[in-house]
Amino acid sequence: MPRWNPRDAIIEAEGLTKQYGAHRALSDVSLKVPPGTIGLLGPNGAGKSTFIKCLLNLEAPTSGSARVLGRDIRAANRGSRERVGYSPEQDSYISGMAGCEYVTYCGQLSGMPFRSARQRSHEILDLVGMGQERYRAVDTYSTGMKQRVKLAQALVHDPEVIFLDEPTNGLDPSGREHILTLIGSLWRDLGISVVMSSHLLRDIERVCDRVIIIAKGRVLEHESIAALMERHRHIVELAPTADADRFVTVLTAAGARVERLSTGKLRVESASDSVGWILEQMRAHGLPPADIVANPNALHELFIKAITDAHGPQP
Amino acid sequence: MDLSLDLSQWREEPLGVAYRRATIVTVGLRQLIRTRFFRVLLAIAWVVGSLMAAFGFLFTQSVASGGWLDSLASNFGPRGHALALSLSAVVLLYPDICIGTLFTALFWLQSWFGLWLSLIALTALVPGLVTRDRASNALTIYLSRPLTSADYLLGKLGIIAGTIVLLWTGPLFLGWLLSIAFAPDRNFLVYSFGPLMRALLFNGIGLAALAGISLGVSAVARSSRTAIVLWLGLWLVAGIVAAPPFMPAFVRRASFSNDLIQIRQEVFRLDEALTAAGDQLPILDRQIASRLDRAGENARPMDFTGALAGLAVLTGLSSVVFLRKLRPE
Repeated sequence: MPRWNPRDAIIEAEGLTKQYGAHRALSDVSLKVPPGTIGLLGPNGAGKSTFIKCLLNLEAPTSGSARVLGRDIRAANRGSRERVGYSPEQDSYISGMAGCEYVTYCGQLSGMPFRSARQRSHEILDLVGMGQERYRAVDTYSTGMKQRVKLAQALVHDPEVIFLDEPTNGLDPSGREHILTLIGSLWRDLGISVVMSSHLLRDIERVCDRVIIIAKGRVLEHESIAALMERHRHIVELAPTADADRFVTVLTAAGARVERLSTGKLRVESASDSVGWILEQMRAHGLPPADIVANPNALHELFIKAITDAHGPQP
Repeated sequence: MDLSLDLSQWREEPLGVAYRRATIVTVGLRQLIRTRFFRVLLAIAWVVGSLMAAFGFLFTQSVASGGWLDSLASNFGPRGHALALSLSAVVLLYPDICIGTLFTALFWLQSWFGLWLSLIALTALVPGLVTRDRASNALTIYLSRPLTSADYLLGKLGIIAGTIVLLWTGPLFLGWLLSIAFAPDRNFLVYSFGPLMRALLFNGIGLAALAGISLGVSAVARSSRTAIVLWLGLWLVAGIVAAPPFMPAFVRRASFSNDLIQIRQEVFRLDEALTAAGDQLPILDRQIASRLDRAGENARPMDFTGALAGLAVLTGLSSVVFLRKLRPE
């Protein structure tokens, strides 16, 4: 079988649909995802996990087709998962095994010889921050440790792409920081593409270079983070040190849409994609200094907008 | 936070599916062998196998000229010596009956031990087959790898087969091999081969039935405790309920242990071997011959076809349950 070219799309879906009785969990999903760190964003029940499960053949798609690393998920059932790692959302482990033994076993299940699997398992467990706990039974692990060992088993066989379903759930702040840093460096340093599903926009924004927004089983947005930010450049958040009312009057008079936020800040939307005109207005009207942040919460705003456009305002 | 990814790369071609299935089997068996309970069962099984080998060895040496029987009998004077010689002569004159009956009885006895030890071992193994995997979502881990549910099934079947080979088939083979390895006459090989094949046939039937039923029980239970209770219920409780002879046939057939006992009687046909020995061996007096006849009567199969059908239904139902539950969760 010809080897997958790293410049090709890691995922190609065409009309992928998954129906559970009357409920359509995934609706006619067609996309082509290039390699990189991709965030799969959507509210709970949006179809993120179903999309990943369909790509891994854990759920049989009702219709449509998909290719992962160039291999058709139906025609090359086993083959399509050879170079793929998966860390599911819920706790998943093989009971009665120590952490290192479990990760080694997972490597072997992916076709690694025992020695290679054992060596890689220790390296990966070091990487995810597991110390001596690796010699304890997985059943006794805390939620955070289970999350780490899940990530380790997904990485042990050196995959070309890994699917991570809510990988930071249950982690304490330092653990979350560690895992996000690790996920962020997988593509950059090792060339392992990451598809990370999450409802935490900050996690996605921090580590991903591309985002797919899903809601009600439909792909609403599929764009690089840079392009999304570019689209959002005309929004500015402003925190005046005083005279907020004057700021509102001046900026509204200048043609901007100004909204007061509950934090006391002002959200300014204008046709301009730079903050130069605001500085100009402040100088001209002798306004007091203010903190200005360009395109804040860009992903959040786009996320809410995309969902609202598709389904109407959220309650 | 600075993170250095100091990792070895693994870009080799993954080993084939046979290796991955074998991994499921070997790791499953290794987990089982780690338990003291299973090690005790293993010790009992191989001691029984060794005893069978020792008995078979002594028997085969009895016909050797100047062998242990000859030497031992000489100590009891000319009459004892004559008796030993006549015993050897009977074995040489009636090898089909003497060797066939003795090995049939030996294997029949060993099959009882093998079956019971396997049933006891499966009590400990059943929760670890599918129940725990379902409870801990391990099925997702298996099926997100280059494995299908059929590979998973074959791996689990392999664990059951491995358990039965270790506790039943292995000791049987050892017993037979050591028995005939030093035999002075090729008749021992020829006439023990039939009983060996019958023992292996029953072993195979037992393996198929126990694999199907234990996988079904393991798949249907939601916790380890439920799996054990269900298994013991199907094996012991149903077995005890079905044991009394006055029970209707359908109740008896609903017990897989009872069905296996009936099939064992039919496969070995110990009754025929004992009756033939009682009828044809000239050195046995009437009393011994009639005892052999009575023993044969007790070993006669009562409801082979019904038991086979009952076992097939139980195994089939269990397999259906297993295959339905195996879907990824």
